[in-house]
Amino acid sequence: MIHLFCALPCEAEPLIQHFKLSDIKEFDLFRIYQSKDKEISLTTTGIGKLNMAAAVSYQHACLKTSAGDIWLNIGVAGHANIPLGEARLVNKITDEHDNASWYPQIIFNSPCASTNLITLDNPSTEYQDALFDMEASAFYQLAIRLGTAELIHCLKIISDNTEQNTATVNADKVKKMIAAKIQTIEKLIGCLKPLSAEIHSITAEPKHYQHFIEKWHFTKSESLQLSRLLRQWSLCLPDVDIMPLVAENKSGKTVLNTLRESINNSEFAIHD
Amino acid sequence: MIDTIYIEEEIANHPRTLAILKRFPEATKISCQRYGEVFNSKSQNFRLQKKQPALILARKHKGLVLPSPKEYAIGAEHNYYFSHMLNCLYDCRYCFLQGKFQSAHYVLFVNYEDFIEEMQLILNQHDEEAVHFFSGYDCDSLALEPVTDFTNDFFPFFEKNTRALLEIRTKSTQIRSLLKRSPIKNCVVAFSFTPDKIARALENKAPDINKRLQAILDLQKAGWQIGLRFDPLIYTKDYAKEYSELFNEIFSKIDPDLTHSISLGGFRLPKDYFRKLEKLYPDEKLFASPQAEEKNNIGYPAEIRHEMLDFCENIITQHVPAEKFFPCHESV
Ligand code: SF4
Repeated sequence: MIHLFCALPCEAEPLIQHFKLSDIKEFDLFRIYQSKDKEISLTTTGIGKLNMAAAVSYQHACLKTSAGDIWLNIGVAGHANIPLGEARLVNKITDEHDNASWYPQIIFNSPCASTNLITLDNPSTEYQDALFDMEASAFYQLAIRLGTAELIHCLKIISDNTEQNTATVNADKVKKMIAAKIQTIEKLIGCLKPLSAEIHSITAEPKHYQHFIEKWHFTKSESLQLSRLLRQWSLCLPDVDIMPLVAENKSGKTVLNTLRESINNSEFAIHD
Repeated sequence: MIDTIYIEEEIANHPRTLAILKRFPEATKISCQRYGEVFNSKSQNFRLQKKQPALILARKHKGLVLPSPKEYAIGAEHNYYFSHMLNCLYDCRYCFLQGKFQSAHYVLFVNYEDFIEEMQLILNQHDEEAVHFFSGYDCDSLALEPVTDFTNDFFPFFEKNTRALLEIRTKSTQIRSLLKRSPIKNCVVAFSFTPDKIARALENKAPDINKRLQAILDLQKAGWQIGLRFDPLIYTKDYAKEYSELFNEIFSKIDPDLTHSISLGGFRLPKDYFRKLEKLYPDEKLFASPQAEEKNNIGYPAEIRHEMLDFCENIITQHVPAEKFFPCHESV
């Protein structure tokens, strides 16, 4: 799943339209939109760190998120000298309040340049050689507790700079700026999807796991052993049908012993 | 090769930092206060990061040179290791660094002068005695040599202090900087090997066996002392045949007189590292190998371990004198 977070409705609107998202009515604390196939969701959070933190937690509680999900904070930001309308991926987030920093991991060929960002508590027109916004630090801090760091990013589009300050920014302009960068956002998602798929593949339950869990009782630590043994089975005995072998077992413990014994008795080759 | 470089503010103007940054004019540079902010941050995924590791330039403050376990000694009473780098260009599936670190980024501690000062202090503590210093515990010592220029800075200390011996552990063929200079008698370039088929299965991105062997031959020809490290020994049903072939290949080519030492040890990892690796690479056969848990380590069951160690020991001792052979007979 892809989770998008925008502070303002005008930042969200072009994304809602592009990804054909619809409002999920059952959640009323924040507005959450979702695609038909439930693969993409978007939350409008409101301005500021508190709103963003609450929205990320809320989304996590409402929709079932997992380690392989992609989390993106998309919005506009100011910068001293980057031209208006350009997109930047964020490579360092510093919270102005306590000077703590986070470093989003860009391990792919980014569709746009990257730069650092400062999250402020209050709006400012004192432009610096850094992006500034009012949400990213809260977004990142929360999201890395719920997901995998390499899949969590902030993409900002420059809405104001020393030449054209915030007074010139309005909702309509913001919508247009975001809409103009949809391709960049799509490309970013395209870079992250294979990484996400890799995390999904390594965190997926091994074959037959669910069936075993339903058929026999396993304690928590036995379930871990089961998962490990089923994986080993698929690597060591890929052509042997597991079900007839365990069918007669009466308990989870004996199932584990049967699996272990068969794996230990198999001839182990590290290569073909 | 390196797209992103994190730079600790403290060493931003260190001459080595400036020289390295010059090599990568296109890289994105990101400043940080301490390398741990990037390197130790939770929820990073080593496997994903390995696809495109960044370089982190940092200063090592404490624990620059540490005592190393007796089991790994190669003939001296006093043994120390140091890591001017963390992580490695290669991607061996059995590598313990994947379990030890949160991040796959390369950390380079640029304050070599502090490592050398620490080594001098240690040497002074062991009056008149031989002291061995091992490099390549938390990295491959030579793999990033063109960037790190490690040998250029460390060799003069060993040239001056013949009581100290430097072991450079590597699988790399980056030996140009060594061949350019006259050999240092108290330096051992130690190459690790597993049989060809095992190396192909597990030692991703590392130079193949033939290239490593050629590097050894070039170094020996130039007069350098060589070490052979068969650690970890990897079990597979045909291990006897595969290791015999490997030993035959190596011992038929190298000069035993310029072979300083040979060591071997079975595959084993601390339990929590093993479990982490298993999660990172659930489809990796290595982690489905026969295994036993002992003293918080996971390795091969004693029977397999002893059988393999004895088998290899038998062949090795036919080729080199006992005083050059250092088996690591620790438990798993
Ligand atoms: S060469 Fe050594 S340090 Fe590098 S990945 Fe392989 S085992 Fe690890």
